[in-house]
Amino acid sequence: MIFKLEDVTVYFPYDNIYPEQYSYMLELKRALDAKGHCLLEMPTGTGKTIALLSLITSYVLSKPENPVKLIYCTRTVHEMEKTLAELKLLHNYQTRHLGPAAKILAIGLSSRKNLCVNSRVLAAENRDSVDAACRKRTASWVRALAAENPNIETCEFFENYEKAASAAVLPPGVYTLQDLRAFGKQQGWCPYFLARHMVQFANVVVYSYQYLLDPKVAGIISKEMQKESVVVFDEAHNIDNVCIEALSVSVRRQTLEGATRNLSRINQEIERFKATDAGRLRAEYNRLVEGLALRGNLPIADAWLSNPALPSDILKEAVPGNIRRAEHFLHVLRRLVQYLRGRLETENVEKEGPVSFVASITAHAGIDQKTLRFCYERLHSLMLTLEITDTDEFLHIQTICDFATLVGTYTRGFSIIIEPFDERMPHIPDPVLQLSCHDASLAVKPVFDRFQSVVITSGTLSPIDLYPRLLNFHPVVSRSFKMSLTRDCICPMVLTRGSDQLPVSTKFDMRSDPGVARNYGKLLVEMVSIVPDGIVCFFVSYSYMDEIIATWNDSGILKEIMQHKLVFIETQDVVETTLALDNYRKACDCGRGAVFFSVARGKVAEGIDFDRHYGRLVIMFGVPFQYTLSKILLARLEYLRDTFQIKEGDFLTFDALRQAAQCVGRVIRSKADYGMMIFADKRYSRHDKRSKLPGWILSHLRDAHLNLSTDMALHIAREVGNFY
Amino acid sequence: EDEDDNLGLEAWERSYADDRSWEALQEDESGFLRPIDNSAFYHAQYRRRLRTTARIQKGLIRYLYIVIDLSRAAAEMDFRPSRMAVVAKQVEAFVREFFDQNPLSQIGLVTVKDGVANCLTDLGGSPESHIKALMGKLGCSGDSSLQNALDLVQGLLSQIPSYGHREVLILYSALSTCDPGDIMETIQKCKESKIRCSVIGLSAEMFICKHLCQDTGGSYSVALDESHFKELIMEHAPPPPAIAEFAIANLIKMGFPQRAGEGSISICSCHKEVKVGVGYTCPRCKARVCELPTDCRICGLQLVSSPHLARSYHHLFPIAPFDEVTPLLNDPRNRSRSTCFGCQQSLLSSGNKPGLYVACPKCKKHFCLECDIYIHESLHNCPGCESL
Repeated sequence: MIFKLEDVTVYFPYDNIYPEQYSYMLELKRALDAKGHCLLEMPTGTGKTIALLSLITSYVLSKPENPVKLIYCTRTVHEMEKTLAELKLLHNYQTRHLGPAAKILAIGLSSRKNLCVNSRVLAAENRDSVDAACRKRTASWVRALAAENPNIETCEFFENYEKAASAAVLPPGVYTLQDLRAFGKQQGWCPYFLARHMVQFANVVVYSYQYLLDPKVAGIISKEMQKESVVVFDEAHNIDNVCIEALSVSVRRQTLEGATRNLSRINQEIERFKATDAGRLRAEYNRLVEGLALRGNLPIADAWLSNPALPSDILKEAVPGNIRRAEHFLHVLRRLVQYLRGRLETENVEKEGPVSFVASITAHAGIDQKTLRFCYERLHSLMLTLEITDTDEFLHIQTICDFATLVGTYTRGFSIIIEPFDERMPHIPDPVLQLSCHDASLAVKPVFDRFQSVVITSGTLSPIDLYPRLLNFHPVVSRSFKMSLTRDCICPMVLTRGSDQLPVSTKFDMRSDPGVARNYGKLLVEMVSIVPDGIVCFFVSYSYMDEIIATWNDSGILKEIMQHKLVFIETQDVVETTLALDNYRKACDCGRGAVFFSVARGKVAEGIDFDRHYGRLVIMFGVPFQYTLSKILLARLEYLRDTFQIKEGDFLTFDALRQAAQCVGRVIRSKADYGMMIFADKRYSRHDKRSKLPGWILSHLRDAHLNLSTDMALHIAREVGNFY
Repeated sequence: EDEDDNLGLEAWERSYADDRSWEALQEDESGFLRPIDNSAFYHAQYRRRLRTTARIQKGLIRYLYIVIDLSRAAAEMDFRPSRMAVVAKQVEAFVREFFDQNPLSQIGLVTVKDGVANCLTDLGGSPESHIKALMGKLGCSGDSSLQNALDLVQGLLSQIPSYGHREVLILYSALSTCDPGDIMETIQKCKESKIRCSVIGLSAEMFICKHLCQDTGGSYSVALDESHFKELIMEHAPPPPAIAEFAIANLIKMGFPQRAGEGSISICSCHKEVKVGVGYTCPRCKARVCELPTDCRICGLQLVSSPHLARSYHHLFPIAPFDEVTPLLNDPRNRSRSTCFGCQQSLLSSGNKPGLYVACPKCKKHFCLECDIYIHESLHNCPGCESL
C-alpha cells in the first residue's frame, strides 16, 4: 500500500498496516526531520523491521535532495539475513511502483568467515583463523612474493577482484550474504573485499553492532560513512552491555604467557629482518618520525582498523620517541608484561582507578602514559612491517596492547580489578586482571556525535527513560508502543505463593528453602499436564538451576514431569546446548511435548526464539538479578551513581526486569502466536518491579492475575486452555 | 471479572452459569416459552449461510475410522462426568447422524490405550453394533500414541476399493503422543494413501495434530465444552468435498436386495442365526442379510436400498441458501405474504413488529427461520419450488 505520511509518500509492501506500525513510522519520521536521535520500543512480531525500512527508504525517495544512508545494525548474522530479506521484498515493491528510480544498493557486511568463497580458507574452523588464512593469501607482500614464486598460494578471487580494480562494482539491488557469495562466485571476485569496497557507495548497509561500537573494528566505517546517515540499532536492549564489553579487557595468566611467546617470536623476526632487510625497519622508523599516517599508502587488504574511540589528538600526535625503534618498543612491552605478571601474583582483591594504575606502572616499569597510549598503534605498525600474516597467533600480545592503550587513554569510567580467584570457587587460584569499562556512553559516543540520527529500537526497552541516561545522549523522540491485537494472545501472570500458600522467591535468604523448590516443582508438574507442546523455564543462574534440578530429582518431581514431557537442559557447553535444543524442537514437533530448562542471561535467553508450539508457556523462576557481589558490578554501580545519579537498586531492578522481559518475550514472535507467561516470584507483585516490565506485557497483566498461588494459576491456565 | 465467580466451576457447569439461559426465555401469550434474544440463533443461521453451497463433487461413499483416545487424559473431569463419557455419548449421536446422512458409507472404531491402538469394530454399516461395542469398552489408562493409531488405520484403510473416501476422525484427549518411531513418516504414508485425517482435540491445540490435518487435508478443531464438542463432531457428518484425484467418474456395482417375505425362515449370513421374516436377500447369491446397507458376506456385493441412494443425493444438489428479507411494513404486497409458506405461522413477531425472515431465491416464497433450518438440514427440498 502507498500512503502519505505528512510530506512523505510511504511505500509499504503489504496491503494492511497495523496502527502501531503507523505511529512508529510517524515518530521515526519526526526524528528524521529533526535530525535527532530516537528511542522506540515496540513488541516483537509487530513488523518493526519492515516499518522502519519502508519509512526510511521512502523518506529518501521523497527527499532526493538530501540522500540519507541507512546503517542497520543487528546482533546476529541470522537477523542480518532476515532484515535483508525483508528489504528485498520492499525493494521489489518499490521498483514495481516507481520504476528504476527506486533502485538502491543494499548490502550486508559480515566477517570473512561468512562471506569467503575460497574453500581452502573456509576450511579453518573459527573466525580468527579464517581471517589469518585470508591474510596469508592476500597480504601485499605475499602477493608480491607469489608473483615471483608460483608455489606460494594466493586467492584467485582476490586476484580477480584486484585485476578488475575499479570495474569491480555491484549493480544496484539488495544483496544478502548469500547473494553476495553467489555474485562473487559467479564473477570470480572476492565477496568480502567487494562488500567492503561497496559499503561506501551503498544506500543501505546491514551489519553487526561490532562494526560500529567496537573500536577495534569500527575503523572500517569511521572513514567511509557520511554524516547524513541514519544508524539503527535493532534489538538494542543490551546495547549498554555491548558497549561496555567493547572497551573491557581481561588479562589472565595464559594471556601473559602467550604474550611472552609472541614477544620472543617478534624478536626473532626483528633479528631476521635486521640480517636480511634492515632497510625496512629503518623505513618504518623514519615514517614514524615523520608522524605520517601509517596506512595512507598501503592497499586496503593490509589496512588495520583505526580506533575512533580514541581522542582525535592521538591520531595527530606522532608516536613518542622511545618506542619508535622496534627493539625499544619490544623492551617496553616486555616490561609491561613483567609488571602485569607481578600484579597478578597478589593474594587479595585489588581495585584501582586508571590514574593510579598508570602512576604505578610509571614508577615500577618506567613506562609513561603517553607511551602506553600508543602501544596499540605501534604494535600494528610493527606487525605490518614484519609482514606477519598469521595474526590469530598474536591475539595475546594484541590484548596486552589494547589494555595498555585503554589504560593510557581514559582516566574516567574505568577501573582495574585484580582478583586472585573466582568468588564462587575460592580454592582454585585463577588470577585475573580486568580493565572494566563502566561507562557505556564512551563507546557509543562517537556514533552519536558522528551521525545525524541514531535510532535505538527493541521489543524491550522499558523503562525507556533510563537508556538516554546510560548512554548519555538526548533523544528527540522516545516512545513505547503497544501491540494491537484482535485477541489476547499473551497471558502473563505473577505467581507469588505455592500450593501450600507459602511465598515463593529466589531471594537470597529463601533460596535454599526446600519448600520453595518443592513449590516450584509442583507448579511445573501441574503445568506440564495441561500445556501442550513446548514449555520453557528460565532460572536465575546455572548454579541455582543445578541445585533445584538436583532437589527435584531426589524428590521424584523430575520423574513426574517426565511422564508428561521430556526434559532438556541448557548447559554452559555450546555444543551440548545446541544438541539439547535440537532434540527439544524435535520433541515438540512430533507431539511428545518437552520442557526446556534454561538460564536467564544465557545464550538461549538471548538469541533463541521459542515461537509457536516451541513455547506455549514460559515460566520465569525468580528475578534474574546480577551477581551483586561481583567486584565489577559493584564498581559499575558506584560509577553510575556518581556520574549519572542512577541509584544502585534502580539499575539492578532495571537490568533484572529487562532480562526477565527478554526471556518471556522469547515465546511471542508474531501476532498469530500465543503463549502464557508465569513470573514465579513474590517480588514481581511489587509495584517497583512490575512497573519496569514493558508496556505490551503490562497491558495484558490483569489485576486479578497479580497475586496467585499455584492452584489459582492452574485454574487460569485451564481457563485460557480455551485459547490454546 | 468473571474469573472470581467461575473459580471452582468446571467446564460443564460454566456453560450454564455463563449463559444464564433461563433468563433468555419468556412466556408468550399462549404459554409457550420463547427466547427473548434471538441474536445467537440468528448468528448460527448466518454462519450456516456462509458455507459454500456450490455444486461440488462430494465423496458419498465414505470409509471412516473413528479413533477414540482412551489414554490417562481421557479420565480428566473437566467435562462431566469425564472426557471419556462425553466422547462416548457424542460418538453415539454422531454414528447415528452419520448413517442418516451417509447411508452408503461405513464406519469402524479404533481405541488407543496404553500406547497401543486396538481395532474395536471393523468397517460396517450398522450403527447399533458400533455403539454396543464402544459402550462395552470404556475405561482408560496409559499414554496415547498417535502414530500407532494412524499406522493401524492406514493398514486397514489401504484395502478398501479406490472409489471410497478414506477418512479418519481422531478424538484426542491427551496433550502428547508417545510414539515408537518417526510420526512424520506415518503422516507421509497417510498422505500418500489419500487418507483424510481430522482431529478434534479435547484439551488444547497441539502442533502435531495441526500438522497432520494440514498435510492430509483434514480439519482440526479444539472443543471448549460439551456443546461445542457436539457441534464440532457433527460438522463431520456431511460428506466432505471429493479429493481431486478421485474425482474421475466410475461405475460401482451395487445390489438392491429384496425384502424377505413375512414368515419365511432362513439363516442370516451376518449373525449365523435362524431368523423369521426379517432381512433381505442378496440378488446375486441369494444369501440373507439382516440390515442394509452392507456388503454381502458371501459374494461381496455392495447391498443398498434405493432410499439410501436417494438420501445421499441431496448432498450433491443442495438447495440454495435463502436470502434474508428486511421487511417493509407499509408494503401492501408484503402484508399479503406475512405468513410462512412452510408452517403458515405469522411472520410478524410479537407486537406486530416484523421479525427476521427469509425467501427462497427461486420461488420467492417466504419462510420463517425455523422452517429455513428444517428445509436445509432435514427436508433437503424447498416446498415452494416443489409446489410450483
